[in-house]
Amino acid sequence: MDAADLTHHTSRRFNEDLERVRSKVLAMGGLVEQQLIGALNALTEGDSRLGESIARNDHKVNGMEVAIDEECSRILATRAPAAGDLRMIVATIKTITDLERIGDECEKIAHIAARLAEEERPPEHYRSVKHLGRIAQEMLHETLDAFARLDAELAVRTARSDRFVDEEYEAIQRQCITYMMEDPRYIRRALDLMWVVRALERVGDHSKNVCEYVVYMVHGKDIRHTSLEAVEQELLGHAARG
Amino acid sequence: MKPQLWLWLSLRLVSFLLVGLVLGLWIDRPFEGIAIVLAVVLARELWRLHGLQRWLLDGAGEPSPDGSGIWGDVLSLVARLQRRKQYHKHRLLRLLRELRRSTAAIPDGVVLLNPQAEILWFNRMAARLLQLRPRSDVGLRIENLVRQPAFVSYLHSGKYDKPVVVRAGAGGELYLNAQVVPYGAGQILLLVRDVTAQQRLEAMRKDFVANASHELRSPLTVIAGYLETLSQDMELDPQLAGPIREMRRQSSRMTAIIEDLLALSRLESDDQPAVGEPIAIAPLLEQLRRDVLARAGQQLDVQVQVEGASRLRGDPAQVHSAFSNLVDNAAKYTPAGGAITLRWREDAEGGHFSVRDTGIGIAAEHLPRLTERFYRVDPGRSRATGGSGLGLAIVKHVMQRHGGSLRIESEEGHGSTFSCHFPAERLVAGPQPEAPAARTGAHAGAAAAL
Repeated sequence: MDAADLTHHTSRRFNEDLERVRSKVLAMGGLVEQQLIGALNALTEGDSRLGESIARNDHKVNGMEVAIDEECSRILATRAPAAGDLRMIVATIKTITDLERIGDECEKIAHIAARLAEEERPPEHYRSVKHLGRIAQEMLHETLDAFARLDAELAVRTARSDRFVDEEYEAIQRQCITYMMEDPRYIRRALDLMWVVRALERVGDHSKNVCEYVVYMVHGKDIRHTSLEAVEQELLGHAARG
Repeated sequence: MKPQLWLWLSLRLVSFLLVGLVLGLWIDRPFEGIAIVLAVVLARELWRLHGLQRWLLDGAGEPSPDGSGIWGDVLSLVARLQRRKQYHKHRLLRLLRELRRSTAAIPDGVVLLNPQAEILWFNRMAARLLQLRPRSDVGLRIENLVRQPAFVSYLHSGKYDKPVVVRAGAGGELYLNAQVVPYGAGQILLLVRDVTAQQRLEAMRKDFVANASHELRSPLTVIAGYLETLSQDMELDPQLAGPIREMRRQSSRMTAIIEDLLALSRLESDDQPAVGEPIAIAPLLEQLRRDVLARAGQQLDVQVQVEGASRLRGDPAQVHSAFSNLVDNAAKYTPAGGAITLRWREDAEGGHFSVRDTGIGIAAEHLPRLTERFYRVDPGRSRATGGSGLGLAIVKHVMQRHGGSLRIESEEGHGSTFSCHFPAERLVAGPQPEAPAARTGAHAGAAAAL
């Protein structure tokens, strides 16, 4: 009776630990999302102060990554989780790495935004960058939603939308090259802009990675002890049907 | 319960006994006769009891078993009880359904949360505003789905007296006002309202003020420049000297107003709390004393009292502008020979800076509105002293950004006390550096730290 009670308590505490880690990951995701929105606003509004403050905030994202990483190691060491719980911890450790990288990309965009704010804004007011940013940001939002709801279907759908980001990225790249050929004075600014769109493209890639971890976390039973190719297979299977 | 039923029952029993007795006498065995008849009666009653039990087991529905005599009465009583219970149950269900329907139709979003902030229920509006999925999102933590750092820290803060504004929607285009209302045993009610329109309006207003002030500044600089040249022109008609002096005074007043408007809009646009830089208090107050003595036209007795050695963590420029606004105000409304006391003290609640004067004071009815922009206690009087009408609004905003508050006490004819209260976490213990001027000292310290 006592022993049963004890295991019950341990498992409940364990569940609470896992839930807390999940919430922390999502809080980190929320912060990263806010950083992305802020960095894009700083760029499109030409707000150098906002850009600087976003860039300064990146240390918070890094701090959260370190804290969650430590907590995951502690859970691995003390609880020795198995099956679904283990998958969740593994997926979490991978997810926060990608989120931290997204945070770094946001910092990059914010720095460039602060610098570009000093210069004259282009006639099209970064319309295409705004569009790409919007797609990348929606993708990140849906990725985090899929993580929160453990919704593998949404994850697969979101992972697929990475190609829209890639297409948009290539379109802007071509546009920038055209501008540079038309007016050499634009080259410096176009190069800065290239960095921004490159960063956004990376945000899409990292979001896609997180989506893959979500699929791994949810469908683990089928693809356990197999490599990442199985996840790809799963993704492709859904893609073909969709 | 009908008494004649029992009478009837006993009469029947007696008559059965008589029949048994007669039968027994006829076969010459009276007791056996009675026993047989009694056994038949008992068997019949038991059979009916069995029927009743089966009926109750089957859920006491229609049709009820044969109901005559005392059994029938019991049956009808049970049935009545049943009906009454059914009726109450229906009524409760209907009430509950009504309640759910009305909460679901509330134009604001409503989410019920348990103590772990897991979703128990939400209405349609909440689903729309927060993008929750009906049913499948029940049981998930709200902070996992509404992930804005502002909301998450608000939810964990435990301080729910004020709502928080969060951005929602895929692109963050919605502004939501979220208010947590704790109730019952740790249960949480989350109210969500769409305030996008108000936020847009507010943003437009702020932009307008900032842009208008900015645009007014350049023409004013030109006017002030020419007026200055004209005032030094020796060949000018001496009759114009007076008007030009007045024009210069007014243009410098206008510049001051615009500077204050810009300062205010800067304070407003930055809603983050001011980042800290320790400011030494004693040198700052000494500097303020020297400044006000140099500026004031009349003879004043200005005292500085500093109790406590902590430094204040805050934005040096903003704190200086707030304090000097208060000191200037005191000087403006204190007649010659009056006294002004600048005081700094510390206690468990935090640091307190106060400016007390022996001036004309303010009537009680003006106190609540004093920090409104361009609010004038007495239009003629205050305009003559050349204030911008924005000083106290700036002080209020600076205090808000430092997590503090501005309090005003005054008695008409006897003077006023304006006090700034800073929370304890803004105080930095340690000796004050031996700096001649507070602001330069603080800046130098910050530069060295960087």
